[in-house]
Amino acid sequence: MNLESVSSTALLIAFILYAVSFFLFVIAVTGKKWSSRDPEQHTRKWATLGLFAAIAGLAAQLVFFFTRWYVAGHIPTSNMFEFMTFLAMMIMAAFVVIYLIYRSAVIGMFALPVGVVILAYALVFPPDIQPLIPALQSYWLYIHVTTAALGEAFFAVGFAAGLMYLIRVTDFRNSKRERRSLEFVIYVVLVILAFVIAVYTFKGMNYSASFEQETTRIDQNGQEVTEVGVVDYVLPPLVKPYNSVTVEMKPFLGMTEPLFEAPSWMNGVNAGRKLNTFIWSVIFGAVLYALIRLVLRKPISEAIQPALSGMDAEDLDEISYRAIAIGFPIFSLGALIFAMIWAHEAWGRFWGWDPKEVWALITWLFYAAYLHLRLSRSWHGVRSSWLSVIGFIVVMFTLIGVNLIIAGLHSYAGV
Amino acid sequence: MIDNTKCECGHQNHEGTVLCESCGKPLHEDEDETKPLEMRYDGVARLSQRKNPSLLNRVWNFFSSVKVAIYLILITLVGAALGTVYPQENMFINIDPSVYYKETYGTLGHIYYLLGLSDTYGSWWFKALLVMIGASLVICSLDRVLPLYRALSKQQIRKHLSFILRQKVAYKGDLAQASASRGSSVDAGQWVEDAAKTLRKKGYRVHTDGTALLAEKNRFSRWGPYINHIGLIIFLLAVLMRGLPGWHMDKYMGFLEGETVKIPDTPYYLKNEQFNVTFYEEDEMTDRFRERGQTVPKRFETKAVLYVCEENCDNPAKEPVLKEVARHNILVNDPLEYKGLLAYQFDFALTPRLVSVSPMLRNKQSGQSYGPFTIKMKNPGVEYEAGPYKLVLKEYFPDFSLDEKGMPITVTNEPNAPAFVFSITGPGLPAEGVPYLYFPREADKAQFRQDEINGAVSQVWDISVNSMEDVEIANYTSYLNIRKDIALPYIWAGAAIFMLGVIIGTYWQHRRIWLRIDNGSELALGAHTNKNWYAMRKDVAWMLSQMGISVDPKQLSDEVKKA
Amino acid sequence: MRRNRKWVQIAILIAILLIGGYTIGSSLFAEESIPREGSEPPAFSLLGLDGKTYSLQDYKGRPVIVNFWGTWCDPCKREMPAIQNQYEKWKDRGLEVLALNLDESRVTVQSFVQQNKLTFPILFDKDLLMRDRYAVRSYPTTFFIDSSGKIAKIAQGEMTESFIEQTVRTILKE
Repeated sequence: MNLESVSSTALLIAFILYAVSFFLFVIAVTGKKWSSRDPEQHTRKWATLGLFAAIAGLAAQLVFFFTRWYVAGHIPTSNMFEFMTFLAMMIMAAFVVIYLIYRSAVIGMFALPVGVVILAYALVFPPDIQPLIPALQSYWLYIHVTTAALGEAFFAVGFAAGLMYLIRVTDFRNSKRERRSLEFVIYVVLVILAFVIAVYTFKGMNYSASFEQETTRIDQNGQEVTEVGVVDYVLPPLVKPYNSVTVEMKPFLGMTEPLFEAPSWMNGVNAGRKLNTFIWSVIFGAVLYALIRLVLRKPISEAIQPALSGMDAEDLDEISYRAIAIGFPIFSLGALIFAMIWAHEAWGRFWGWDPKEVWALITWLFYAAYLHLRLSRSWHGVRSSWLSVIGFIVVMFTLIGVNLIIAGLHSYAGV
Repeated sequence: MIDNTKCECGHQNHEGTVLCESCGKPLHEDEDETKPLEMRYDGVARLSQRKNPSLLNRVWNFFSSVKVAIYLILITLVGAALGTVYPQENMFINIDPSVYYKETYGTLGHIYYLLGLSDTYGSWWFKALLVMIGASLVICSLDRVLPLYRALSKQQIRKHLSFILRQKVAYKGDLAQASASRGSSVDAGQWVEDAAKTLRKKGYRVHTDGTALLAEKNRFSRWGPYINHIGLIIFLLAVLMRGLPGWHMDKYMGFLEGETVKIPDTPYYLKNEQFNVTFYEEDEMTDRFRERGQTVPKRFETKAVLYVCEENCDNPAKEPVLKEVARHNILVNDPLEYKGLLAYQFDFALTPRLVSVSPMLRNKQSGQSYGPFTIKMKNPGVEYEAGPYKLVLKEYFPDFSLDEKGMPITVTNEPNAPAFVFSITGPGLPAEGVPYLYFPREADKAQFRQDEINGAVSQVWDISVNSMEDVEIANYTSYLNIRKDIALPYIWAGAAIFMLGVIIGTYWQHRRIWLRIDNGSELALGAHTNKNWYAMRKDVAWMLSQMGISVDPKQLSDEVKKA
Repeated sequence: MRRNRKWVQIAILIAILLIGGYTIGSSLFAEESIPREGSEPPAFSLLGLDGKTYSLQDYKGRPVIVNFWGTWCDPCKREMPAIQNQYEKWKDRGLEVLALNLDESRVTVQSFVQQNKLTFPILFDKDLLMRDRYAVRSYPTTFFIDSSGKIAKIAQGEMTESFIEQTVRTILKE
């Protein structure tokens, strides 16, 4: 058994352990009603089990991390797959830290799924170990990416606590706007989950389609260069790439031709495929949402609310703020300062207004505004929690949206 | 100046003071007495709180407002986001923006250009936003830090009762009850001393005056925000300075092997002596890359030499006189550095090009060879000597071809198919010279039938190279990024100071506890922190429990009391 | 103390005004990176085929045609006779023609000029610096500069003689 397969097996074990931990925390929180024992004891017992599962998962993921490092010869944070797995690991670590401070089982119920979903998202991308291009061969790579991910992990926990606060305090009977906004946030989370499920489903069905596309681009001499490329689809093409010819397409639900073509202004060779993936995720997410809602027979956030009733709202607010406050300096250091140092070393300029850099700045400005609003303008409770939710959406856009939608020096592989 | 800021304790406060600087009593009685006190900046008067502001004060107040600062941050945020919708002008080397956006993105793109968004980060309004944020940073900080420093450096131990009990964390109790149950009497002074001892164990600096106590911890963290603002100000100023002429340069230039190229706007010239590249071996790559047949460069370097021009630098008629000043093997993250000028390896291209040939002039009949003489492909000289013979270059076609009329022309300015027309004079040749068309490349010689064109002359004479050793070829063009950034050290300094400020401001909190025992046994305690009330309550609850009073931290919080 | 404070405030606001003004101003009034019709042509000082140095500012007050060309560029070659004719026609009225060759070798340029009997100054745009400064992207490109020193017209592509005549008339009008 070679080290590379040990590595991927370890990751799978970690994923399973995190999922198990999540269920253990759910039992800890919701099961106390029907347990015959004293509810406090019940919660504590199951929560401790959940904690152990999470720590075990973390250990497994560390095995994955270090074995992969050894095989690849460089720290495994160089592409979408590696970075996302690392981020998930950081979120788990941040969660363990916050749990040990506050000992609240409900946090596990919320923070863990964030990590699990991100890990599942990561697993969608090609896991091949790739040689590093010269621009990435610098130890600043390690430092920048890991520190930034740690900062973002704390923002993720802040997000989870903020969301919990909102679900806890929203009066579902009387405020339509709050209810709708919360449901929308849950829907967005489901879209990401749906994306993962959709890709696995169609990959499992061995679905494939491919298109031949002619693209022209301007090379560095200012000359126009025309290239013909093949674009492979994993999901059934509702949208085909702009100016392309179908090479091969397996029929899906009686559909033998793509429904429409991507607009010409969408940037990059993979624009059509990314748009298609996005549309599928949105549709699947809606279906998933509808199904869950049908089963629960009420808004999802409303259904979750009773589970949170034991939790002190103010504590949730405090946890959310503290996580973000802890994360902000780390994020500033990793995502901005180390990034500037690395950019200066690799590309000779510390800041180039590259879309990824700009969005990191936007994230930073947003959380700076958050801190000022909270500390100087006394924005506590609901307002602060909404900010922590929006802030994390900005973080996710910086990580996912920029790579997939906007082109630039930072773009890596996509689906 | 009549102002009602004299406190009942006798201290005269500045106009705008919220809490008496000495005893802490709230100066305005018209507010709700059950609300916790407004403890910002310890209730001290700030510059921007004066009544009847003049124009100067109004401008000052505008920039010192945190609300305004937040708006500025948010507007900058949105502006920056808009700049990512379409690629910015500076992403391209050579486009005309007034046409490009319209052509590539349609009307939306053209509107984008017209609004100035195609150069968002260089636009005047974006810079104006940054200037305003800078102004806000300076004025906000100055407005607050001086009064805060004054307030925190001279603090009273014994505060007014209402000050203490209206803190966000407060406790009121009677010590007599607790000690009565133990069968002892209360000694207020001793109690305070014991309390001081427990707090000191937790790292507090405690001052007592008999029956009152002030415990303080981590005051330095209050300066955190001001330090990080100073860091940001230095950073912004350094960024601004970069705009000054001579402080900043960022160019991409291609250097063919063997070429010396002038770096525009500087007295420097850079020569690419040699370029080397190694690729990953087949077995070093993953299957995916192998399948695609892609080559991935593993390492590439440019052996570069930097010269400075000493004479004839601006004279177009003369060649500049150069002196070597630096030499370095430039690798991807390893630039050439000289007096602030940096040359980074950016990219390369395979561009094989003929640089020069050194042929011999051969007399086919006598078998004699003369020379060699060297002909450069770029701007070749006019006169050459091969033994006793002289060759004068009459015409030169770098990229030889024949037009529709069969006349020789050159298709480009690159030496892809060079052709030289010489007039040869010397022993045995007519005085007006013998014309000879010479193609260095064998392929061209055959294609254009050199011998046929040269006719009778080619029976006797021949110009050709003996071997590939006499041919100089440059294989690669190395793309370097030439940069200069004098402001850089200040940028890093600003960033470091920012980090220091943000770390001490976030990871430590300034905590204070006031307590006093009145009438022998009535304990009043108040505590304040700038952030992390959770820990503040824990500290107070812990201290009280050490003193025999057990209380849930939650109960200490005023807000919970109300709920 | 209060008066000191007021002066400090004023000093800070003035500093901000100056720094801010400079920053924003340098954005607003940034030198046109691309010369357009109506803007000032970038100055140059280049070596001519005849060995003399020619500077654009020497011709201040006179209408000038600045033409970017190369012997490998067919349309450039085709329009040369037309430019030569117009030059002879108007040179006594003060018109100057400066033909900037796109960094070809001396031999090539010499031979072309001799064959076509061109009499206006031929300059070498060494290292194509002026081509970049003038943002020339296609060849030939011709800049018609009037006597006030501003670019009156930018012509891309081959020019007909009537076009040259028309444009010369307008820049000669002053």
